[in-house]
Amino acid sequence: MEFLSVLDVSFFLLVGFGTLVGIIFGAIPGMTATMAVAVCLPLTYALGLNNGLALLLGLYVGGISGGMVPAVLLNIPGTPSSITTTFDGYPMARRGEGEKALRICVIASVIGGLISAAVLFLFAPLLADFSIKFSYVEKFLIILLALSVIASLSNSMLIGIFSGVIGIWLSLIGDYSISDGGNGHTRLMFDFMEPYLFEGFSLLPVLIGIFGISTILLEAEKGVKRDVAGERVKIGASGRFSLSTFKGSLTNLTRSSFIGTFVGMLPGVGGSAASVLAYTQEKNLAKDSSQMGKGAPQGLIASESANNALTGGALIPLLSLGIPGDATTAVLIGAFTLQGIQVGPLFIPENHETWYIMMTALVLANFVMFVLMFFAIKHIAKVVMVPKHILYPLIVMMCVVGAYAINYGIMFDVWTLLIFGVLGYLIQKIGLEVAPLIIGFILGSQAEVYFVKSLESFGTYSIFFTKSPIALVLWALIAASVLFAIAMGFKSRARQKMELSQMHTPSNTTAGKRHDSTNG
Amino acid sequence: MNKINTFLVSATSLSLLLAGNVALAQEFRGPVRIVVPFAPGGTSDILARYIAPELSDAIGQPVIVENKAGAGGNIGADFVAKADPNGHTLLLSDLTALLAAPSVLPSVAYDIENDLAPVTMVSYSPYVLGVSQNNDFSSFDELVAFSRENPGQLSMATSGVGANNHITTERLIQDQDLDWTVIAYRGGSDATRAVVSGESDMLLNGTTASLPFVLSGQMNALAVTGEERLDELPDVPTFRELGLPGDLDGTYQGILVTAGSPPEIVERLQTELATVLANEEIRARIAEQGGQARPSASPDELKAWMSEQKSELASFIESAGIRQ
Repeated sequence: MEFLSVLDVSFFLLVGFGTLVGIIFGAIPGMTATMAVAVCLPLTYALGLNNGLALLLGLYVGGISGGMVPAVLLNIPGTPSSITTTFDGYPMARRGEGEKALRICVIASVIGGLISAAVLFLFAPLLADFSIKFSYVEKFLIILLALSVIASLSNSMLIGIFSGVIGIWLSLIGDYSISDGGNGHTRLMFDFMEPYLFEGFSLLPVLIGIFGISTILLEAEKGVKRDVAGERVKIGASGRFSLSTFKGSLTNLTRSSFIGTFVGMLPGVGGSAASVLAYTQEKNLAKDSSQMGKGAPQGLIASESANNALTGGALIPLLSLGIPGDATTAVLIGAFTLQGIQVGPLFIPENHETWYIMMTALVLANFVMFVLMFFAIKHIAKVVMVPKHILYPLIVMMCVVGAYAINYGIMFDVWTLLIFGVLGYLIQKIGLEVAPLIIGFILGSQAEVYFVKSLESFGTYSIFFTKSPIALVLWALIAASVLFAIAMGFKSRARQKMELSQMHTPSNTTAGKRHDSTNG
Repeated sequence: MNKINTFLVSATSLSLLLAGNVALAQEFRGPVRIVVPFAPGGTSDILARYIAPELSDAIGQPVIVENKAGAGGNIGADFVAKADPNGHTLLLSDLTALLAAPSVLPSVAYDIENDLAPVTMVSYSPYVLGVSQNNDFSSFDELVAFSRENPGQLSMATSGVGANNHITTERLIQDQDLDWTVIAYRGGSDATRAVVSGESDMLLNGTTASLPFVLSGQMNALAVTGEERLDELPDVPTFRELGLPGDLDGTYQGILVTAGSPPEIVERLQTELATVLANEEIRARIAEQGGQARPSASPDELKAWMSEQKSELASFIESAGIRQ
């Protein structure tokens, strides 16, 4: 514990400050943990290594956690990895359980964060060797497994798959680069679009548009009148939080935290895949997952524990190999190099003190996040009590600013936001589903690249089955996931038939898109 | 009417004269921006952040580092190419990548020679040829001998099609008439991962990325580019020592400015940057990055180097058939 003696008050203050700023970044749609770290990176130059790391790790943990706030309250994933938090969080918020939902998220987050920190501390060098063995084949299978959720995400399996395929199609727009195994031409677009769409639609503006802007459009459709009449979400009575919500969630928590750590560990597999994968597995393996997507705490637990577990996971290959596990840790490398420290296989053995200090900062940041969020939630959750005709224009403004900022100032990203806002609105109007669509969009292009690159590197289709035992396990999980979706499909069709015979009801329940009777 | 016109003309010429005077005094009239066309944390970004505070002290104006990432550096470069030509918007980038872009990419929105003007080279980073533990090669000659006996069996990882290390790899293959399978990975760390895990057999990459693996024994270094051996790897020969041509090279970072910027400003920038890059502390920091500070003697020197490199790269890339 002698390393603690080098720490002073400023270290602890910086962890706290970093976490707070990170939460704010994460909570503003369009600003991400990656951005928070990138923006503050130059500051670490003056701070020195220990304090710099304190700030950056605080930002990282805070930034990932902050995404839950708009995801639950406004149906806008603040960061891509909180996408699955919207599925159950927003329906809960609409039922007036926003505060409860957020508390569940915070607890799941801190547990996920701490489990991954423990894994990082105990097994970093061991797991690093394991993680680099994951070639394109295994990465493709992991993405495929996450993609299989689109079949079970919707009430009607066919609509879910159809929406997912549209999402995949959208993700393939743009340059099919030779580096990704393509032909170097642009796809699925006209030539005049090339200056704007060469790299395809960027993720975050699509995400915020299709969730946030479309939700606001659907609200706007109802008009202001009813809102002024006091149609506000009540917080309280129905939304009491008690720890008993977590009863029976131990398996879910542990599983999701390990999934998050594990996906974080794999370089090149994005953070959103972690929460989607954890969500899929909970849906497939839980005894009762019928409420998931309609406001079930278990969905929140899976999503938030997984995305916070990313932090420790992504640091594993960074610190023990010098290979970043995700975009944020890629920026973190800069902080080390600015201080003249090489991250890589020699980092932990040669920089024991720094290593302990990082662990301290990481664990501390998780606790600070917990305290800040848990006790501030009561006030944060009041956001939904702001009259909508004031709140929504402000959110649209923030979304536009965020979309413009995400790639450091590209106007087309703002257009993407607005186009997808309208598209998301239309999609819901014609009865398609945004959740499978967006998952298809996030994972589609990754799946393609890893598939093509696997073939390019190994030259045969059979490699997908013969590469390693891990590949076989993944195939088994994919098969289970698909079979489960089919079984669920039959069940819900039977139920729908029954309901139809009683009365005519619309079938769009996923992600809580009921636009009547939930308020007030 | 005429009087007013005369007045306007003289007023305009007077103000132009004044503006000219300001330029002659080589003063900077506001903050200077260093645009880095890559994400924060990369080599160019870190160099810019080393240089910015020193340059700011020298010219008495704030110097801001701005990241405009995307399209392999071409979005940021295009931004500077189209900026106001007042010499206050600089581009710090990997020059080799920008010079190769017109030959590798289907289209580039700016002309590096006409829309951007050189200021100074910043640094040079050599490449290390690292091989995985799959084969027990102890020298480059052994590697070549093995390749000759087993054509097509060894695979060489690169950071992507048209990446600098891909071009250098093709040069090596062409020069030695080797039969290697070249696999384009998604970026440098992915390629490193592949070699460390034994999925690919070897790669050429910067010292910052490869050295830690070499020192920890997860990768063997067989040769380095450049004129001299590396301090950290005194036993590893240079390609030149092995009798290979000097065009097997590493990467160069340099600073460019919007074309048409006042020459006095550009010269002032070059002089100040040369002083900054002569600073021992800065040189040591660049060395930590695996680079060697290498300021140009004049903007014209860099101009000549760039146009020579560009045409050489164009003809080589054409002959090797590298296209994205």
